Amino acid sequence: MGTKRQITEYLDIDLEKELWCCNRCGHELISARENYKKGCRVYVRKDPNTIYNSPLKGPFSFAPDPTWAMLVEFYCPGCGVMVENEMLPPGHPVTHDIELDIDKLKEKYLSSETDKPARK
Amino acid sequence: MRPDPKKLLEWIKPSPPTKEERECMKLLQPGDYEIYTEKLNNFLLESKEIFIKLGVSSMLRSGDVVTGIYTPTGDMVAAWCGTYLHAVVGQLPIKYVAETWLNEPTVGCKDGDIFYCSDPLYGGIHNCDQIVVMPVFNDGELIAWTNAAVHQPETGACEPGGMPLTAKTRHDEGMLLSPIKIGENFRLREDLVEMCVNLMSRAPRMQAIDMRARLSAADRLRQRIVSLAQEKGNDFVKGLFRRIVIEAEEGTRRRIKEWNDGTYRAVTFIDIVGEKHRLVRNYLTLHKKGDQLIWDFTGTSPETDSPQHAMPHALAANIAIHLMSYSFNDLPVSAGVLAPMEFIVPDGCMFNPHYEAAQSNSAPSCHGGMTLGTICMSKLMFDSPQRELVASATGNTGVGVLVSGTNQWGVPISDFLAFGLNTEGHGARTDMDGVDAFGFSHCPTGRAPDVEDIENEFQFFNLAAKLSRDSGGFGKYRGGSGTEVIYAVNYVDYALYNSHVKGSKVRNCIGLFGGYPPPTLPGIEVKHTNIWEKMRRGDKDIPTGAMQLITERTIQGDYEISSIFKKTHVLENGDLWVVFSGGGGGYGDVLERDAGMVMDDLRKELISHWTVENVYHVAYDHETLEVDEGKTKQLRHKERGNRISRGMTWDEFEKEWSKLRPDEEILEYYGSWPDGRKTRDIIRM
Repeated sequence: MGTKRQITEYLDIDLEKELWCCNRCGHELISARENYKKGCRVYVRKDPNTIYNSPLKGPFSFAPDPTWAMLVEFYCPGCGVMVENEMLPPGHPVTHDIELDIDKLKEKYLSSETDKPARK
Repeated sequence: MRPDPKKLLEWIKPSPPTKEERECMKLLQPGDYEIYTEKLNNFLLESKEIFIKLGVSSMLRSGDVVTGIYTPTGDMVAAWCGTYLHAVVGQLPIKYVAETWLNEPTVGCKDGDIFYCSDPLYGGIHNCDQIVVMPVFNDGELIAWTNAAVHQPETGACEPGGMPLTAKTRHDEGMLLSPIKIGENFRLREDLVEMCVNLMSRAPRMQAIDMRARLSAADRLRQRIVSLAQEKGNDFVKGLFRRIVIEAEEGTRRRIKEWNDGTYRAVTFIDIVGEKHRLVRNYLTLHKKGDQLIWDFTGTSPETDSPQHAMPHALAANIAIHLMSYSFNDLPVSAGVLAPMEFIVPDGCMFNPHYEAAQSNSAPSCHGGMTLGTICMSKLMFDSPQRELVASATGNTGVGVLVSGTNQWGVPISDFLAFGLNTEGHGARTDMDGVDAFGFSHCPTGRAPDVEDIENEFQFFNLAAKLSRDSGGFGKYRGGSGTEVIYAVNYVDYALYNSHVKGSKVRNCIGLFGGYPPPTLPGIEVKHTNIWEKMRRGDKDIPTGAMQLITERTIQGDYEISSIFKKTHVLENGDLWVVFSGGGGGYGDVLERDAGMVMDDLRKELISHWTVENVYHVAYDHETLEVDEGKTKQLRHKERGNRISRGMTWDEFEKEWSKLRPDEEILEYYGSWPDGRKTRDIIRM
């Protein structure tokens, strides 16, 4: 873990390898310079009632209207933890939500004598 | 004369310290900063209490207010929050008055003057938010300004309640005051008060009382600052004020500098435009570089012919709610916090519309922006010493529901139902659930008003009020639950009701790191009921919540399930309606939620049995509610495997997903698909 920084609840960056990794199982997802979501398994939850189970049915209920937005879920291919999800209109591009300055990050943590171990 | 929007946006940041102020700062001895900063906070607390005790409208009484102290040039020094957005924009009318009227011979500014304003084009939020401003003079020198601001729930607009969904331009929104001198010699001018009261003929009593409440709060603050200056000297006060602003700026820059450089993005969607269900997008790209944050809202949908707009400075002030209540909550509530911020808000987007645009729904229009701010800041702060301040989004529904007509005492009213407004769910955090019914998205300290008070003031009966089941976003930590209230028109033949709540099709609140967004919110009304008959009989099956109301239907009547937003319409005596406040976003993977916490939620009726089994995958005894740890572990292991099996690779997903697109009808106001660029001009009459 010496060169890993925990960036989100479920994602580390291995600074030496420049890779996004699962914080739970260590699975290497994709280059840290890419959108980590491209390294995940992706599932489109077309029926929102599988999460929200609205007692009302019809156009107005306690579940989002799937013609307006669907949950897109991103799982670690190694352990199946849900790394992130997005509520997106059908076909809307997935968000590149975290784009770190990897060179600065390496400079900050690899070259410093005060390098702190990644937090778990 | 009207200030340029770019200038207003720039005015939210502090002006550079003058040479005189730097000299004055040297007067502070060790300990003075700490002692007198606290003293200012006590002044603010006192003025807030006066404000709340003297006012009458519901948001005022709920504490959704601000009182603030500003430098002679208008920079925010300290504020009681309350509503952080009002504290931030409070600077702008002051800067306008200082720049425009101070040396204008027909206006001028002297001790005892009182200025008043409400127009967003001059630095306000929207037509409803009325601000009183007073100069503070001591020994003939202008040493400060004070203000007091709160939403006034009637503006004389084309619909009751000041926030008409049908407004097409600013000319439909009622009173919009550029900063005017409304009083002299510490007294309001009764001719100008009468003008305002007359414009608010749907609720004249509220306007007359609340104007005086604002003035009383600002004037008490003024008196306290004068006393301080008489005790310590004007130069000491000026030095103290500037030191506070500088401390806040330096603290903010130090903290930002520690965080990881990079770019953070988030997107959210809103489902109403005017009185139609239509899709619009809010998009934020947050750049963190060195000790600076750059907030770029490029990609946000264009302006429309609706009232769902906000000025750039109003958007920035709404973002400041997160900054001042989370990221920099331990620093002074002062303009210094905003010094390292730059805001990019493209011309023609819904956050930077033409000056003729209606903006009466400005505050609720910023809820998407507020969600984006919280999400991007949380992603930025996770790998930092501020991890404990990471959170998913607050409900951000903006439970703006308004009742007007004549109350049980024969008094005309037009006012918010502040219970739902002040009981949204908080976002879940890295180590705890969101607070249930925490408060108002614009005001972390707001409190729901007392039910007896509400029934006294209005013309309805509170049949039920409770936390709403399954309303907080599910996750390792659950979003705070929202509430549900059932009201029945009482005492009078009819009441008028309107709602500008969002989220019947899609919520603009989202989760964090795998936590789910909270559910959508339908509109529920039951007309021509037998509620009074059932109550007279003492029936035991009268519902105690909205779910029971709609599933068991023990009350006879015409059930209408529709959108939660409603333009003004009539409800008759005995008609019921439900108000939901939105739950907060969830945090983390549901499969990591402690099974014992899941059972606690079930016992408190915050979630359903279905949710325990199908979302959290917990095995338990339905009678004793004891968890079967072994079986739960198996169920969750199985579900993780199912996820891997059903999940697609990125390329497979992209191939399928990119073929989809929402119906053209709901994209009417979205702008270009999918990037939300302006595609047409709006012609306003």
